[in-house]
Amino acid sequence: MDDRELIGRVLAGDTRAERELYDAHVDRVFRLVYRMAGDLHRAQDYTQEAFVRAFRRLADFRGESALSTWLCSIAISVTLNGLRSVKRAREREVGLEDVPALGTRPVEADPDLKQRLARAIDGLPEGYRMVFVMHDVEGYTHGQIAAALGVQPGTSKAQLFRARARLRAALADFARE
Amino acid sequence: MDDEPLDEPLDESLRAAAREYHSPPETPRDAMWRAIQARRPAPYRWLPWAAAAAALLALGIGIGRMPSHREGGTVSPAPVAAAPGPRVNATAYRLATVEHLGQSEAFLTRFRLQVRAGTEERRSSATARQLLATNRLLLDSPAARDRKTRLLLEDLELVLAEIAQLSPEAAPGDRELIREGLERGGMLPRLRTGVPAGTTPTRGDL
Repeated sequence: MDDRELIGRVLAGDTRAERELYDAHVDRVFRLVYRMAGDLHRAQDYTQEAFVRAFRRLADFRGESALSTWLCSIAISVTLNGLRSVKRAREREVGLEDVPALGTRPVEADPDLKQRLARAIDGLPEGYRMVFVMHDVEGYTHGQIAAALGVQPGTSKAQLFRARARLRAALADFARE
Repeated sequence: MDDEPLDEPLDESLRAAAREYHSPPETPRDAMWRAIQARRPAPYRWLPWAAAAAALLALGIGIGRMPSHREGGTVSPAPVAAAPGPRVNATAYRLATVEHLGQSEAFLTRFRLQVRAGTEERRSSATARQLLATNRLLLDSPAARDRKTRLLLEDLELVLAEIAQLSPEAAPGDRELIREGLERGGMLPRLRTGVPAGTTPTRGDL
């Protein structure tokens, strides 16, 4: 069944169709949200909120992009808003001067590449991190990323370029080892 | 080519490590579905939900609604009181929405003034929770079919949720952050434009 037919059934009040739509897309949405949130409870909250909003707005879906892209854009918006709230709360708790910024963290012996890389990705600016996670981690194309984020494909490419450059710089000493 | 990158990909060891970044567990499908369903009234429940929303608004239950003394002590009837009958129509939803937006505007105006003055209103979070409940009812009703109204209600939901989560021990900085968010998002002007003049007798009386 194609998306349009499924959407039509949902809008007609078919609750089984709602579940079908959810089942068809939830894995992809949850994976991306979890990659960004890094926390199960937050990932669940953001995914749930994204689907609640999507069902609410489904009548507005015009089919200009794939349903999966549209859902993804809602999930990204919910996730980034949620993470900004978390960040604000953490900054209040820790104090702005204590929040480490990329490049200011002292280089320390850390034999685990995965941990080093994860910390470097965590330290990327929000936009860079989103594009990097979508492209290099989850395998989205620049076209899909651009549609989901509402930017041009060139912007997505440029942000990926900058994200990779920052990660290479952050891990330069590791590469030399 | 659309997907042609600007630079070389990361080397294989980094790419492999990146794929394990925040590696997702199995999707908790059923748990999330139950939570989603709990937040969404089924379509066939819209009519009673809408009637409940209208009734709640008409009665002004729990939101500290008091008679207006601004206009010679007269009390205007609630606009939604007579609207919903057995068949709730679009007018009832619109009136219920206008009433809710007016009450929210009054509440947020008062909240903003209190934050500026550094005074504490212990009922703020309770009032926000009650407005939030009404807001969610309206978002799930045909009132939210209008795009502009729905976007306003969704943005309002975020603000009300933040205030609802304030604990009595919340630091003044927390309230200040919410106030700044209100200013940045232009929420009060948007609420005012969503409320026709003279339609909200409870304005300012929360």
